[in-house]
Amino acid sequence: MAVGVRGRAPRLERVGSTRLRILSMVLVALCLAGMVWSRLAYWQVARHGQLGMQAQAQYREVVELPAIRGAIFDRNLTQLVVNTTVYSAFVSPDQVPAAWRQRVAGALVSVLGADQATVTTILASPAKFAYISPRRFPKDKADKLSALKLPGVGLEPETQRSYLPGISPGTTLASNLLGFVNYNGDGQYGLEAYYQKMLAGTSGYISSYRDLANREIVLGSHTHQDPVNGSDLVLSLDANVQYAAEQALADGVKKDNAESGSVLIMDPTTGGIVAWADYPSYNANDFVHTDTALFKDNVSSYVYEPGSVMKVVTLAGAMNSGAITPSTVINDPGYLNVGGYRIYDWDRRNHGNIDYTYVLEHSLNVGAMKAMQAEGHDAFYSYLQGFGLTKASGIDVAGETSVPPPASGQMADAQYATSAFGQGIDVNMVQMLSAVNVIANGGKYAPPHVVERVGTQINPLILQQQRQVISPAAAAQMTTMMEAVVQHGSGYTSVVHGFALDQTAKTGTSQIPVNGQYTQDVWASFVGFLPAQHPRFTMLVVVRKPHAPGSDRDWTLNDGYITAGPIWQKIAQAMVIDWHITPDPQ
Amino acid sequence: MQVASSTAAERLHLSSFGHAYLGLGAVLIAVLFYLGLAAQITQSSYDIARLQDQQRQLVAEQDQLRYQEVTLHAPAQVQQQAAQSGMQRVVPSGYVAGQPVAIDLTAPVGATAGDTTPLWARAVAAVINTVGGTRDVLAASR
Repeated sequence: MAVGVRGRAPRLERVGSTRLRILSMVLVALCLAGMVWSRLAYWQVARHGQLGMQAQAQYREVVELPAIRGAIFDRNLTQLVVNTTVYSAFVSPDQVPAAWRQRVAGALVSVLGADQATVTTILASPAKFAYISPRRFPKDKADKLSALKLPGVGLEPETQRSYLPGISPGTTLASNLLGFVNYNGDGQYGLEAYYQKMLAGTSGYISSYRDLANREIVLGSHTHQDPVNGSDLVLSLDANVQYAAEQALADGVKKDNAESGSVLIMDPTTGGIVAWADYPSYNANDFVHTDTALFKDNVSSYVYEPGSVMKVVTLAGAMNSGAITPSTVINDPGYLNVGGYRIYDWDRRNHGNIDYTYVLEHSLNVGAMKAMQAEGHDAFYSYLQGFGLTKASGIDVAGETSVPPPASGQMADAQYATSAFGQGIDVNMVQMLSAVNVIANGGKYAPPHVVERVGTQINPLILQQQRQVISPAAAAQMTTMMEAVVQHGSGYTSVVHGFALDQTAKTGTSQIPVNGQYTQDVWASFVGFLPAQHPRFTMLVVVRKPHAPGSDRDWTLNDGYITAGPIWQKIAQAMVIDWHITPDPQ
Repeated sequence: MQVASSTAAERLHLSSFGHAYLGLGAVLIAVLFYLGLAAQITQSSYDIARLQDQQRQLVAEQDQLRYQEVTLHAPAQVQQQAAQSGMQRVVPSGYVAGQPVAIDLTAPVGATAGDTTPLWARAVAAVINTVGGTRDVLAASR
């Protein structure tokens, strides 16, 4: 038994120790496996999303499919802006062998005109990527560069807006109206900014696979969304008239040694803008190298005191309210005392008994103030509102600026008086031309606009019913008075050949205030429409700070009829020929 | 007959190695077919990528040509060309005043105007048109 017992006990011990060892080994293995499993679970479960994204980033590529920006056409469907492809060169300096640097630099300098020192510095730098300046060069240069097969040099195609050439190599046509598009594809200034959303469209994308050589595998599974291209704009602008306006304006501003000038032409019946010219202007194809001060548009973003052009509004309102007629006689001693101020006519002369046609012909401030007083402050103010001079015109061009007058109850007597002849009240050119256009449009206010159609949609402004501001009879009376300005008054400088008896005008000259004091510098303006009875266009010319030869001795040489009038005449003459306008039989 | 058929069956009966070879062969053919197809697809996708690149190049050239075309019609270019050709814009020397003419569309239609063609011309026309082929002229003259 003892043997037997002795014989069984060690076996039991061995079996027990073996099991223990196996168990411990299993436990160790389980621990190790658990560590591995937990690590696997960490990477495959907890970090699954992040790793999946990293993996996708290596073999998948999401490429943006840019929308094509809409084109811009004038009223005759002349394309004013074209999308062109330009290229930018970049280098990866670490990919350029040291032995090649000199040759690469030489090629970039000779083909692109890059700066030798800058390129050499870039190539010697440890940078991974750098653009070579100048950027955005045309395809022929890109072709030359790619033919050289330079190591580490790449080309990046980009879309650029190309605008039509203007009157001189340094300008493009209607640049202040159109604006431009920056390198990010965002419209800046003018129509490009105002219609950014509609012009730009919506980009699409394509998500595809790439092979080891980073080549696209087109037939791989991919997701795809087409871009929605931008809408085209059709403007009321006439490119030929715009060009004629820019040319006449530039000549006039230079001749009068003026600081700047602007021209705005409107279709009287629709309110569509036919020409929108500024001088000096800029080259929208080279906006990077343009003084930013030139980007500002002086037509809608600049307010000025309109001067005697305002008398058209004052007298038309007074006639419409029945306070005066063209033949109403008043006495004009050359000044009027209002609110403690003595306000003079421009010539400070006693004109005696005169009628309102004479007042307009000779642009007499006293007559305008008496007309305003005859209709009363409230009526005068309501006509300012009716003619659209108390708020922004809402024209569809970015950056319109307006300075509304104070509320009617807050305006002093003297301010009412000076506002009647266009001083002490600020307007922009769009507001002023739209107001005068009421006369040309039979007493109705035509909302000013530049765009006639966006894609296939007609601008809703055109379909709106126009507001009747004054009666057609009052508008006709004012038209006759404005014809008299051409025939007997200061508008003679604007006579278009054959239209001496069939055109209207009003001149304006207002002193520019600086720090609350009026200076000898003036805004000279000229407005009119033609033919008088069936107007085809209304035009406003403003010349800022003219210094015409001899004006240092006689400042009246800077008057609107001498400086702005001839510009008006030159443009009107070109329009008469281009648009085949004939005078009405008398 | 029974013996002969069983012998043929035995001849066709493949060994297990034969089955394995057959299977491997089928798999190999399938793999080769797949590889060939994949290579073809990859080649096609590279061709498409290359053509897309060419298309981009052509579109870029087209844009450039369009800009050149638009520029040729631009007022600045037209004026420059006109000036180079010695042309200049002139102001019309004058307008002729038009006299309004009243047309009464409701007035009754009068008698048809008589034929003013000379008799000899009509006779000649009658002969010529009988012989020749210009009958419409004769008809019109009536």
